[in-house]
Amino acid sequence: MSKYPEYNHAKSHAWFQRALKVIPSGIYGHLGPAEGLFLPLEKWPLISAKAQGAYFWDMDGNKYLDLMCAYGPNILGYGDPDVDRAAMEQLMVGNCTTAPSYKMVECAELLTDTVAMADWAFFMKNGTDATTFSVMCARAATGRKKTMFLRGYYHGNDPWAMKADYPGILPEEVANNIVVPWFDLPAMERAYTENGEDVAALIAQPYDHGNFADNRCASREFWSQVREFCTKRGIVLIIDDVRTGFRLDLAGSDHYYGFSADLICFCKALANGYNMSAVCGIEALRPAASALSFTGSYWMSAEPFAACIACLNKLKAIGAPALFRKTGEALTRGFQKAAKENGFDLVVSGEPALFYLRIANDDSLMLHQEWVAECVSRGLFLTSHHNHFVNAAITGSDIALAIDIAGDAFSVVAKRHPELG
Amino acid sequence: MKEPLAMAYVNMYGVLGTLENLCAMDRQAKEILQSLKKPVALCLSVKGGPCCTFRFSQDGCQMTPGPEGCTCKMHFASPEKFNALIDSGKPGLPAKHPVQLLSFLLGPFTKLTDRLTQLLRPDPSAMEDPDFFTESTILTMYTIAGAISALANTDSISKISASYTVDGEVSLGIRGAAQVTILVENHRFTTVKAPAQHPRAVMEFDSVKLAHGLFTGQVSTINALCSGSIRLRGMISMVDNINRILDRVSAYLA
Repeated sequence: MSKYPEYNHAKSHAWFQRALKVIPSGIYGHLGPAEGLFLPLEKWPLISAKAQGAYFWDMDGNKYLDLMCAYGPNILGYGDPDVDRAAMEQLMVGNCTTAPSYKMVECAELLTDTVAMADWAFFMKNGTDATTFSVMCARAATGRKKTMFLRGYYHGNDPWAMKADYPGILPEEVANNIVVPWFDLPAMERAYTENGEDVAALIAQPYDHGNFADNRCASREFWSQVREFCTKRGIVLIIDDVRTGFRLDLAGSDHYYGFSADLICFCKALANGYNMSAVCGIEALRPAASALSFTGSYWMSAEPFAACIACLNKLKAIGAPALFRKTGEALTRGFQKAAKENGFDLVVSGEPALFYLRIANDDSLMLHQEWVAECVSRGLFLTSHHNHFVNAAITGSDIALAIDIAGDAFSVVAKRHPELG
Repeated sequence: MKEPLAMAYVNMYGVLGTLENLCAMDRQAKEILQSLKKPVALCLSVKGGPCCTFRFSQDGCQMTPGPEGCTCKMHFASPEKFNALIDSGKPGLPAKHPVQLLSFLLGPFTKLTDRLTQLLRPDPSAMEDPDFFTESTILTMYTIAGAISALANTDSISKISASYTVDGEVSLGIRGAAQVTILVENHRFTTVKAPAQHPRAVMEFDSVKLAHGLFTGQVSTINALCSGSIRLRGMISMVDNINRILDRVSAYLA
């Protein structure tokens, strides 16, 4: 008998059926059942009713301790009172206006004071906007064509950032992309030479946090070598900190790994769910950034700037990165212990604040998917293919609950697979 | 854009490769094979491209890579020439033992390929017969499965997907009807027309009707996934990459 009874998702699934009629895929992208790998579908909530702190509730009233945090934006907890108050107060005095609010200036000042490499900040809405801006900026500054990527990359959904085998992408749109393996400086050197030295930028996440595979942290030595490689050749080094930003180091993940990027992209954690992204850059790239034709209808709206200021100040006040590391370590230690007690080998990888999990008893992820589904259907929201996220609202009792549900789910899967014993 | 060399592999392993399944499943094809007085091993050899031998007997058809043991051989000067022949549906002249085997090419072989065409490019009215519908859909799955590996190994776009595919067996199938295996080893794909022994990923359609809808583009894959009528398990990155190759299969077989 399972300690945590399985949830019923009838109402959520009824809402999803309504969504399917009017929205392609019902819920598209990473939050939906296809990209989100809701396997099997019936175990998962699909539509939420409300969220608070470390939890959200689905349409059936089921409560979930959320270790995906909306895939990153929830960094302080859903509905953080300080951030929401700042946003609401700003809404009352002005948001999307012809002359942008002074909040934009304050926000840029705070970012340049917070992020170690930043001489300026440029604002947009999504992570893709930030990476696209950065690559354009590098091309404009260098007059070169090509962009170097590290294998398994994901830098958003614009065509330049995709691969030629993706639907709707033309080979011409990715013809200037060069892909090299992670942690392979000689390959980087060869690719540079083979491409006629026509490389504007190297864009990379601060470590290899790809999906479906154990995450591989970088070393300071690796980044020091990459920094030197780029500097010597006049290549703009862009760090895509959209996923990791402010979770490892408030001064930027480049700072965490002991180097200085030329451009750094932020989004998810900037404003605790209010919609904005930003690129910070070095002085030498200011003219190129100024020259770009790059803007959007809502990019200078004041409400997210007010939320961002409140969010960053609170992250600083609570020493968020150290808290996230501690929370991640406590959760994963507990998960591994529960796994072992039930005969499972749970591998933990990546930075603790963004831990990646994999049951290693088989090489297909099938057992892992079973376990994740049993966790989700009992109130602990995980994914089977992606790194996880923690937030500052998670308490010690939340961690204990997460480990207890995880253990219960392990026992359910273990009973289903007596062959593992 | 279709690449001629990749198209030749699709035609050989995807389209003509389905003759094996046709001869195993289809009553009319079995009747055609009964007219064979002795087994025939026909080798189709494309310069710079695929080379396979099709062994026909009253018991069925078996395709193997290479020319070994062939009793009749046809050379094609280029992938384009081979593709043109498949498009035209005319068998051409054999280069080895032409006189003796002309009757096979113009007789049973043409009848079999004509029957295959009927099933792979069906008349809408024929699909109203449930048995024909099922057979046509299952044979289409075998053709697609052969084409997946053909493209993964030869088409420049599909090779990108293959380069990101980890090793292992992917089980593709229609529940209760047919199962095939895509075996991936060091980014090279092989289609095995049998259930997987140790699948690392599984993609299964819950009915022949759904499979037909997906193959003909009448049903959205994503919608089917979301409604739970496609069951997925395991290393889904493998299935993701195969789905990207499937987009190319559609372009090649259109």
